[in-house]
Amino acid sequence: MSSAKNVTVIAEQLQGDLQNISFELLGAARTLAEKLEVGVNAFLIGNNITNMAEKLIHGGADEVFVVDEPELEEYATLPYRRAALTILEHLDEAPPIILMGATTIGRDIAPRIAAYLKTGLTADCTELDIGDYHHKGKADPTKTGEYKDVLYAIRPSFGESLKARILGPWKNPQMATARVGVMEKLPVDPTRKGKITSVKTAFKPEDFRVKVIETIRDLSTSINLTEAKVIISGGFGMGGPEGFELLEDLASIFKDSVVGASRRAVDAGWISYPHQVGQTGKTVRPNLYIAVGISGAIQHRVGMSNAKTIIAVNKDPDAPIFRFADYGIVGDVGEVVPVLKQAFLEKFKQQKTASGV
Amino acid sequence: MLNPFDRYALQKAIELKRNNNAKITCVTMGPPPAVEVLIDAFDYGADYGVLLTDKRLAASDTLATSYALHMVARHLGEFDIIFTGLQTTDGDTAQVGPQIAERLGIPQITYCEELEVVNKKIKARRVVEGGCQIMEAGMPALITVANSATPLGHKKFADVAEVKEFLRHPDERQKRIKTVNLDDINADPKRIGLVGSPTVVGKTWKIGEIGGSCVMFQGESLQREVEELMEHLEQDEREIGEIINVQR
Ligand SMILES: Cc1cc2nc3c(=O)[nH]c(=O)nc-3n(C[C@H](O)[C@H](O)[C@H](O)COP(=O)(O)OP(=O)(O)OC[C@H]3O[C@@H](n4cnc5c(N)ncnc54)[C@H](O)[C@@H]3O)c2cc1C
Ligand SMILES: Nc1ncnc2c1ncn2[C@@H]1O[C@H](COP(=O)(O)O)[C@@H](O)[C@H]1O
Repeated sequence: MSSAKNVTVIAEQLQGDLQNISFELLGAARTLAEKLEVGVNAFLIGNNITNMAEKLIHGGADEVFVVDEPELEEYATLPYRRAALTILEHLDEAPPIILMGATTIGRDIAPRIAAYLKTGLTADCTELDIGDYHHKGKADPTKTGEYKDVLYAIRPSFGESLKARILGPWKNPQMATARVGVMEKLPVDPTRKGKITSVKTAFKPEDFRVKVIETIRDLSTSINLTEAKVIISGGFGMGGPEGFELLEDLASIFKDSVVGASRRAVDAGWISYPHQVGQTGKTVRPNLYIAVGISGAIQHRVGMSNAKTIIAVNKDPDAPIFRFADYGIVGDVGEVVPVLKQAFLEKFKQQKTASGV
Repeated sequence: MLNPFDRYALQKAIELKRNNNAKITCVTMGPPPAVEVLIDAFDYGADYGVLLTDKRLAASDTLATSYALHMVARHLGEFDIIFTGLQTTDGDTAQVGPQIAERLGIPQITYCEELEVVNKKIKARRVVEGGCQIMEAGMPALITVANSATPLGHKKFADVAEVKEFLRHPDERQKRIKTVNLDDINADPKRIGLVGSPTVVGKTWKIGEIGGSCVMFQGESLQREVEELMEHLEQDEREIGEIINVQR
């Protein structure tokens, strides 16, 4: 069977490191592939990255197509687009499904590839599945019919108030980007075997119309936000690095707790990037998330709205965070945080007495 | 209503207009009342507006929308920069911008926070995971503006007055605001609307928690507010159990 029939993942690497999302996509792709009874392909694009192909196989890929060229040192839309299209052209037919991450890279390049291929793309999926679809359309009777084994691309919409299933059974590839931190990785299997195919790309001068002058990035990952049970996050309302000491202090009373942050607080230099929660930071799902001095922008929300209980502290009663928090305290961070800490300590004490410990 | 994300895009255009003597044309695709969006943009300092309105456009997905909008760009002729917002608030796909760029065959800079044009070259800063990138590009190009960019400024009284004035004169109004349909821009009706959309929305579900369920504590003494919060947490056994279990 032609490997072009495989579910395809466009893997993401930054500075020579495969990003988590690549493995999450492989996990999702495997589930889809099993339902379709096909395999999983991965595209790996970059400079000096061929040695990482094996890791993708260990993570669930059956065949990895690699474009490894010096022009691909740093991500840029048009050269990466060219590389992806070259691999697609190398295959003898369009894959049924292509998955990418809903990262700044995936959301930059996926729409261009979809527009080039004139096919459908569903952004920011939180669930992916395979199923049948019966289309009855008066507007375009040529589309009407029973479609088997269609990609169900499921995503939140209307500001996360609705979940929608998007379908595009009429044309392959059916494309989707998946939110970071949502799909489940497979356990790494170092004994898995697969095929690695290297593809040469002929770039065109117009692929270099945008130059990346400089990339300023901190990708260190020393903080365990994804595993934490309690996260105390601070935003621009913390007013400065001292504010984060206050949060450290509150966090210290919980087991399995860490301090998180909004991007604005990170950009301000008050706390380092590994603490950032959100679209371009970590996706977290603790039991308790306390958001302090954070307005609740969509890019923050997508990283933390799966927390079981969200408490927001903000001096502005109209802050968007209060639209999706479970509990809100309107007040100044400097005043509220110490009182909160006392109250939690008090509760812990009561609990201990009650349980006779 | 002007999509909130597009306000950042409009602001960038206004900054360029101020510093580079540029002219701004705003394009919107929607039903006839969407002309209000254009008038709003005029109040902020836009120069021309185009409303693409056609019943056949209904139910266009992003591919079809970008086809229609890129045909408007073609119809209008030369341009230096197309700005789009990062995303819309209903669909929030962030796809239409890059798809217009693909169809026009021009480069793009997405998630742009800062931008200036010096000697016909775009210098821009964009958001990436863990930091930012400094980019340089020639023109024409398409820029999607991040919501972490400068917020839209205030309307100037003089601009608003000028807009009120020209709206009163039909011939002036026609010079500034063009209403076009698919035939005017030579768009292929097979590539828009339901017919031209490769995707459809199958089924939708309401998601419970989000919106309006937040229990607010305010107005009391802080001490009392926090006490009440604790009481609430305790009432919800699941919550307090999970939280108490994680005390150090
Ligand atoms: C592509 C892209 C990716 C992004 N990724 C992320 C991401 O991963 N994570 C992220 O967080 N953001 C991200 N952002 C940025 C996001 O859009 C917001 O700009 C950011 O989340 C705002 O941070 P903030 O809430 O701390 O700051 P602000 O929006 O400035 O909010 C500060 C809040 O603090 C309150 N406040 C001020 N002083 C006090 C006080 N003394 N006491 C109590 N409250 C006070 C204010 O009322 C306000 O609500 C991204 C943006 C883009 C465009
Ligand atoms: N109907 C429309 N008219 C004009 N611009 C649009 C329209 N739909 C989308 N856009 C532009 O494309 C951006 C991204 O939209 P979306 O891909 O729908 O999230 C928006 O911020 C707008 O700038």
